[in-house]
Amino acid sequence: MLRNRAVDCLVAGFVVMLLSCKSFTFAAESDLSCLRSIKKSFQDPNKYLTSWDFSSRSEGAICRFIGIICWHPDENSVLSINLSNMGLKGQFPTGIKNCTSLTGLDLSFNQISGEIPTNVGSIVPFATTLDLSSNKFTGRIPKSIANISYLNVLKLDHNQLSGQIPPELSLLGRLREFSVASNLLIGAVPKFGGKLGNKADMYANNTGLCGGPLKPCSSTSDKLR
Amino acid sequence: MRSNEMGRLKLVFSDVFSFLCLIFVMGFVLRVSANGEGDALNAFKLSLVDPNNALESWNSLLMNPCTWFHITCDGNDSVVRVDLGNANLSGKLVPQLDQLKNLRYLELYSNNISGTIPKRFGNLKNLESLDLYSNSLSGPIPDTLGKLTKLTTLRLNNNSLSGTIPMSLTTVPLQLLDLSNNLLTGVIPVNGSFSLFTPISFANNRLRNSPSAPPPQRTDTPRTSSVPPYI
Repeated sequence: MLRNRAVDCLVAGFVVMLLSCKSFTFAAESDLSCLRSIKKSFQDPNKYLTSWDFSSRSEGAICRFIGIICWHPDENSVLSINLSNMGLKGQFPTGIKNCTSLTGLDLSFNQISGEIPTNVGSIVPFATTLDLSSNKFTGRIPKSIANISYLNVLKLDHNQLSGQIPPELSLLGRLREFSVASNLLIGAVPKFGGKLGNKADMYANNTGLCGGPLKPCSSTSDKLR
Repeated sequence: MRSNEMGRLKLVFSDVFSFLCLIFVMGFVLRVSANGEGDALNAFKLSLVDPNNALESWNSLLMNPCTWFHITCDGNDSVVRVDLGNANLSGKLVPQLDQLKNLRYLELYSNNISGTIPKRFGNLKNLESLDLYSNSLSGPIPDTLGKLTKLTTLRLNNNSLSGTIPMSLTTVPLQLLDLSNNLLTGVIPVNGSFSLFTPISFANNRLRNSPSAPPPQRTDTPRTSSVPPYI
């Protein structure tokens, strides 16, 4: 009977060990698949992402990847991704949602096309910086960006975004830098408060924005959806 | 005979005198060169248990610690980095480490260091990175860390730190903060540099969750939140 109990203890201990190992590497596996999906999503003519070598299984290997900053040097948990000005083409990689501790995403100055995913708010829920500026994004600005409540910096300028700016963006209470300049946007601008202020250059060079620091939204055509 | 003995006595006397002069001068030279920084690090070594002999090269008889392993100095032989991450160390931190006036990086992560974070660490005016994560530290985060005007990285996660997060830290130009996996209580600051930090930095504590931002002035749009009250 004592031997049975000892075996039970051993098995329990083994299972606990397995489970704890699994939960630790789950986060690491998740970040690995996030970066794999980025590499897969983009055409990379300048071969920056080619240097991303997934063959090493050591913890912290991805921390040495170009464009990647980790939370800790010896753990595969991505803090921020900066792929600015790398000549990347393709679409927004939705696999980024697997970088569950991501706070910074900078894809600016590339040739990324297609739409910003409507559920971007659940792809990068903890972003404090989201910079998609100077690309070829089309379609609308997703309302779900308003759910990225810790955003300090939101740059969407120099794209081909159309439609209205979601008024819900005014709920972003930590926003201190915002730009949608040089797009194809129309309609009333959000009623931002607090740190952002109300500067016209945030909205410059669009099709028909009004309100705030711009001309008032008086005519009915400004209120078109 | 007498004059010979006198002569020999004079010779011995002068030899002893020269020897004592030498000792005095040597002592003086060594004292000037053997800086307080080596003494501080030696006090640290005495406070630590070092089964892997990471500190074997830390010889207190040397003029300065700049040749010691895990120590980096600048061009003036002043310590700028202590790199002892993952060194299987236990024991305690010592307040004398504040004598490292030019220290920029204090990397003591992933060890088994216990005890508290010395208040005197607030004197490390040039510190840019303080990494004490993954140890067995307890007690509070000293509010004196608010004096570290150059600190950009603060990682104290995975310890047993208790008490509240000092408000003084919001004036420190932090870019990377990790306080997760501790026993911290109270409110999470959201102002100053803390505007940059999300629940990830504070997870697994006993902190009262604050809303991500002050409630908006307008009341026409209801604000729904599924964020839990405690993190």
